[in-house]
Amino acid sequence: MTNKDTWFNRYVNSLPTRGWFKLLSRYVVVPYWIWRDPKPKLPGGPRESPQPSENTQRMMNLIMPLKDPSPMGRAMAAMAIAQNVDEIFSGLDNVGTVHTARFLILGDNLCMISVYDGDFSNYIRDFIETIGSVFDAVISQIKGAEHMIPTCDHVEEFIEWVHDHDLFQAPDFPTDLFALQDAAKGLPTDGPAHEIMTLPRDLILQLHANPNLSLGGGYRSYPGYSAAQVRDKFGVGW
Amino acid sequence: MHYSDLAKRIVDELLRPDGSDKLRPVHTIGIGATGYFEPSEVAPQYCKADHFITPRTKATLRFSNGSGSKTQHDDWSDVRGMATRFHLSDGTDTDLIMMTLPEFFARTPEEFLEFTLAAKPTEVHWVSPWKKIWQMLHLIPPQPDPYPDEEISPNEGAIKFANENRYSQLAVFQAAAIGAPVSYLRAAYHAVHTFVVTGEDEVERWVRFTWQPIDGVKNENPLDPPGADYLQGRLRDRLADHTSRFTLMMQIGEVGDAFDDSTKPWPPHRQRVMMGTLTLDHAAEDTKAQDDYFEKLSFNPMLLTPGIRASEDPVLHIRKEAYAYSSGKRDATPCPFSGGAEDDQ
Amino acid sequence: MNKQVKKDVDIDAIERDVQGNILRSYSRHLVRHLMLEVTNVAAARRFLGVAANGGSEAVPAITPGSDWGKAKPPSNFNIGLTFEGLKALGVSRRTLQTFPVEFSQGMTKRAMKIGDFGDSAPDKWPAPFDTPEKVHIVASIHADEEGQLDKVEAQVAKAFTVLGVRDGRGLGRGKVFFGYKDSISQPRFKWVKDRTQATADEPLDPLGTILLGYPTSMEDMSFRVPYPDALGLNGSFNAFRILAQASYDYEIYLDEAADFLLKHKDVDLLLPPGAEKKVGKGLDRHAALREIVAAQMCGRWRNGTPYETSPDTMDPDPDVSPTNFDYSAQSRCPAGAHMRRANPRGGHIVQRIATYTRRLVRRGMSYGPDFDPDDFDRKNPDRRERGLLGNFLCANLGAQFEAVMCDWLNVGLQTPSITGTNDPLLGANTAETSRFDLTLPDNAGTISIYGFPRFVTARGGAYTFLPSLTAIRYLSEL
Repeated sequence: MTNKDTWFNRYVNSLPTRGWFKLLSRYVVVPYWIWRDPKPKLPGGPRESPQPSENTQRMMNLIMPLKDPSPMGRAMAAMAIAQNVDEIFSGLDNVGTVHTARFLILGDNLCMISVYDGDFSNYIRDFIETIGSVFDAVISQIKGAEHMIPTCDHVEEFIEWVHDHDLFQAPDFPTDLFALQDAAKGLPTDGPAHEIMTLPRDLILQLHANPNLSLGGGYRSYPGYSAAQVRDKFGVGW
Repeated sequence: MHYSDLAKRIVDELLRPDGSDKLRPVHTIGIGATGYFEPSEVAPQYCKADHFITPRTKATLRFSNGSGSKTQHDDWSDVRGMATRFHLSDGTDTDLIMMTLPEFFARTPEEFLEFTLAAKPTEVHWVSPWKKIWQMLHLIPPQPDPYPDEEISPNEGAIKFANENRYSQLAVFQAAAIGAPVSYLRAAYHAVHTFVVTGEDEVERWVRFTWQPIDGVKNENPLDPPGADYLQGRLRDRLADHTSRFTLMMQIGEVGDAFDDSTKPWPPHRQRVMMGTLTLDHAAEDTKAQDDYFEKLSFNPMLLTPGIRASEDPVLHIRKEAYAYSSGKRDATPCPFSGGAEDDQ
Repeated sequence: MNKQVKKDVDIDAIERDVQGNILRSYSRHLVRHLMLEVTNVAAARRFLGVAANGGSEAVPAITPGSDWGKAKPPSNFNIGLTFEGLKALGVSRRTLQTFPVEFSQGMTKRAMKIGDFGDSAPDKWPAPFDTPEKVHIVASIHADEEGQLDKVEAQVAKAFTVLGVRDGRGLGRGKVFFGYKDSISQPRFKWVKDRTQATADEPLDPLGTILLGYPTSMEDMSFRVPYPDALGLNGSFNAFRILAQASYDYEIYLDEAADFLLKHKDVDLLLPPGAEKKVGKGLDRHAALREIVAAQMCGRWRNGTPYETSPDTMDPDPDVSPTNFDYSAQSRCPAGAHMRRANPRGGHIVQRIATYTRRLVRRGMSYGPDFDPDDFDRKNPDRRERGLLGNFLCANLGAQFEAVMCDWLNVGLQTPSITGTNDPLLGANTAETSRFDLTLPDNAGTISIYGFPRFVTARGGAYTFLPSLTAIRYLSEL
């Protein structure tokens, strides 16, 4: 070990910004580690927890690949939503636990982004119950989802499918990733500690398994309150 | 006051070879400031303590660098401290002590002593370039090179400790990347421990406090460091012509939350109450008299007032003794607990 | 997996095919639950084949759901299989995949969702529930004499490895620990005669609430029937729960709550001076306040009288119906009361679409030493373990049992005024965060009480599938 700065040391420090080293990392080093230490895809959506504030204003980021990503196919998806606005709005009112919900066409995907209260399965099940026909119209435009039409006869399967297409939500505290990866592998989450400086690698490898994710649970201005509580407080009925 | 061997041992072991027993063993370099606190309109519902029901309460503060070195290194990556003393309307005081790290390293005093021993500063080494290449090929970011005149550092020991103790990982990981703020007035500070506040309706809540700078959080660019001595000057410059404000945010704990474990921060989704605003309008002048006054102050996180009490967090409780013992040791203005008071309030 | 739309059903045939503890309660004095591991598959299948075909000298018969009339058998025998149990009996992978995910994961993996954390966490459960992968079958014997339980247990033990035994009993007068009369209201199923619910006026529940293969209360929606129909049809699911009840701590909390209320500025609104005599016979003010807290927390006075229709007294004259009432915005029964959380009836709830869709059948008996809430030693805490061996039956654990547990009993999403609080009796509470709002008469607001701990702790359990007799035969022939 040398105790002074050298030309070689400065050069090594600059490696992460050098083109050849970036290519080496991208095409050799990272693929090697993906092979060596594969990470299971982590499940989508918010994780179960007992705190009321973790059970209100939960995020859904549902990314559904379009069957036909051409402008024609995108228009079909847009129409499936546009023609069902009444169904969606009255359905959401009757589900009662939704703060906001909107659809996006993003890349080759149709996305449903919503903020809801309570359990994920209850939310989707109630939604199918009230606007299953809209879901049928929507997923008829989606790759690999036709077999679940009509959704009201495939409730369990559809809930699992949505769960699978909901984005993984990265933990709010970085070192919690270790426990999530352990749990996904069926290992105890209170076992021996991981080496702390392997966390960046674990994140890189996780982003291979979950290329899209939500960075943490997101900001809330008034966390911990349900949609009905907000409506009640403002005197607009719930 | 009686000091337990454990409290004394922790304080004694914290002292670095490049520190001074005339100064604090940690948060050694600091600067004072004064201002006033104004509670929000909802604060009394949650806490009936004097400073939450009085329109304006004078406050004395000390900002500090976390390191125990007696040499100033403002631009080094380090945890910063913000200790606030509220001067209450009945003439008594209460303290609120926070730092930029959102969680602590240990769950109990015993673990903290272990951590302190493990993280004793050791001679810094340059990691060999060959080892750095090896680490990069393992997708492990190499530790940054030491600062130009850095001789000893706790980092190696702290990381080794964290590799063996899950509970300390978050604090060690975040401390390693914490950087240097552009100003003491541009950082968010966390009280870390849980306190129990009582509202005007006598309802108790388990809560955690944070100061948020209204000017915004901003760090220095580590590749373009501003030099070893800028934080005190910038504080004086800013407060010479302006005021600077912090919002006091309070998170309310919920079922399943860690009420007596400060290694576990609460997620940002807990109900948050805006408890008030601190306005700073004066920085300690660069004179010996001012320096003596502020640097001899003895804060104590257990200096509380009716309406706020400590949770069962054992680290919070030993800080009471540790701060008092440390205050006596460095011959400071006696800490309120140094005189033999055994009362928690 | 096909939708079974049955306008007319042969209810007698269904009752002969389903197990007897599903559609009706046995009303026996004793129960013994045996946690079984299948260690000899051949022996296990032989046993099930005989049991499903009327039994023999050496094998108890599975009790079917048909009315036994006057020929009351000396004991009843029923089984529920865990997902691991189906695997152990050799059910094919393809068939296993047609079971719902919550069942295949098992109760321990769903712990956080149903509030089993902290002291209730599965890693704190005693044997045999500390090895959930070995709990294959929960067999239940109901009888009125202990000798019958022993006899059947000995027969079962010849075919299975008995990992654990839990004995329960009725406490008399329909009571359970905490001193409440229980099991008063239950779902009533279309076509099924149930004397205990003969006069109840709640809407009839379709058979799909409890059995697989029938329409559910959600229009258009049906739950998946595991494949093949021989295995899935007429089956049901059960959340078997061993729930310890902190009887002593509950009574002490009622003392504290009454002390607190006596000093509260609004106490006279809750209990006008002199009204304590009306609350119940021989009660002083403190005792009456204790009973009011107990009644509002549950939704019934401890003698079973509904709080909604009799908020001033536990002994209304004339008597009120134990089952027929509904909730409204003016209800005296608090929205946070246990009974109203578990079954909001026709009252307004946030999830309008979910009204009457999350019904559960509850069958339970108590275990552990007696505890008399009217006569116990406050100075010598009796915290011996006692509680409920509970069965929560439904056609879909996710849509019914878990849905009630995670959004209604805990969290309280159904009414904004209780959102963020947990069920006062059954909820996952901590003293630092618990809150319950007592209602005052004449819409005069509420009084909040705080600081109660978790009174009910999970000590074991399993999600089981209750196969039809046809399905048990199917399993025996694999």
